Amino acid sequence: MSENALDLGTVALRGSAGERVTREDMLRARDRLKVLKTRSAKRSLQLLWLLAGPGVLVMLGENDGPSMVSYATTGATYGVGFFVPFILLTFVLAFVVQEMTVRLGVATHRGHAELIFQRFGPFWGYFAMGDLVFGNLLTLVTEFIAVQAGGLYFGLPSWLSVAIGVVLVVASLALRRYATWERALMALAVFNLLFIPAALFAHPSGAALTHALATWGPLPGGFGTAFITLVLANIGATVTPWMIFFQQSAVVDKGLTRADLPQGRMDTAIGAALAAAAAIATVVVTAPLFAAHVDVSQFASGADFATALRPLIGTTGATLFALGIVEAGLVAAMTISTSSSYSFAETMSVRHSLNLDFAQGYLFYAVAIVSTLVAAGIVLIPGAPLLAMTLTVNVIATLLMAPALLLLLLLVNDREIMRDLANGWRANLAGGTIVVAISLVGALYGVITVFPNVFGK
Amino acid sequence: MSYDPALISALEPGQLTAATHRKLPRRSLGRGTLALLILLRVYVVIAIPIVLYAFVHALVIPQ
Repeated sequence: MSENALDLGTVALRGSAGERVTREDMLRARDRLKVLKTRSAKRSLQLLWLLAGPGVLVMLGENDGPSMVSYATTGATYGVGFFVPFILLTFVLAFVVQEMTVRLGVATHRGHAELIFQRFGPFWGYFAMGDLVFGNLLTLVTEFIAVQAGGLYFGLPSWLSVAIGVVLVVASLALRRYATWERALMALAVFNLLFIPAALFAHPSGAALTHALATWGPLPGGFGTAFITLVLANIGATVTPWMIFFQQSAVVDKGLTRADLPQGRMDTAIGAALAAAAAIATVVVTAPLFAAHVDVSQFASGADFATALRPLIGTTGATLFALGIVEAGLVAAMTISTSSSYSFAETMSVRHSLNLDFAQGYLFYAVAIVSTLVAAGIVLIPGAPLLAMTLTVNVIATLLMAPALLLLLLLVNDREIMRDLANGWRANLAGGTIVVAISLVGALYGVITVFPNVFGK
Repeated sequence: MSYDPALISALEPGQLTAATHRKLPRRSLGRGTLALLILLRVYVVIAIPIVLYAFVHALVIPQ
């Protein structure tokens, strides 16, 4: 620091271009300086380490409580087969979608919600924000259900595991430093990979896995409503609106620039690969339930699976599974509540960054803290309609993914803001295909919701 | 936290908080985009009752 340094806490300063400089700018500049030095020293692995974060967090964050239950239900219902390559495909879709958010972030240095508001007007701005914050609140409820259920497996009372969850979420926000927050969450998110050693306790057959990947089979049971619902649940477990908003805002908050795009893409690809490995491991670990013909239709949480797995894969494997479920709920609660904060503050044009002090960013932090407290409170209400909320979360996420994706495609084709990083025809073909596919899936989900037996049982 | 002009130069001008607070202009929409957004509004109008139905229906399912 220079000797004639001024206190930024009280004085609004101006940089060389005459712009006002804030504490948030200074903290981001510190991170950027490390990146610039590492790049000029040509230390590529260290550079990737410095720039990784948003992609890994968004992908592992989406391996949340309900998603892991979806993968577990898939493994217990169909075993190792069609869904192994299908899950891999959904993560390829997720990479295609999330890569666009990285480009938007580095090209505009603005979050997704504020771009929608400013470029398409208040209707779409408020709709996108309102839909996200409401959907995220319900999703947070499901994350605390996962934390609570995991706690029950280890003999913790509901109130204690939920309270620990709330304290950890609020403590992560109290760091008031994006870089520290990100590294703390990445350290926690590594535990999502617990599903991989858990899968080893199920003694998976390498030949069966290879056969599934090569042939997209077997598919026992045919194409009934249960199969279609699981297909939709697995898509909903991988591609959701909050991911788009979160990753773009995190890329901006981290300070990534156009020069960092290759590392931003690699970060997203690594995150997708890790999350896909954990998801497939979850299918593998629950496959013994399929072999033992265990009926999982009444299972409400990941803890039910852990309990049912104990006699089949042993206590260690089941414990790893239960720990993974707790981690899934916790990391998702942290990332999803933060995406609500970013989205709300960006739409309302108030300051939004994890580098802010509480006094400067009280509205930003308040959204995450209040939604966390409300969600945790709902979980603890005796007789609360938790199942209704879980089902509605899936409906909202699937139905409202189409508008989110279309707005994303429109933004990433906006050459006034994207310049040379706008979508080319290949990216538009891939993105357009995904929008059409997700819209059809959303419509199908809507039909199944209203007419549950339209495709048979 | 103190101000350091050398440090702040590590940021691109567009990354400064003050720069990101300047609003971008509304995008002028072509016919195709406008039609897409109108279709999207219709989709939303259809989707919201389905969401409400799903929630109310789930509420009456015995837990």
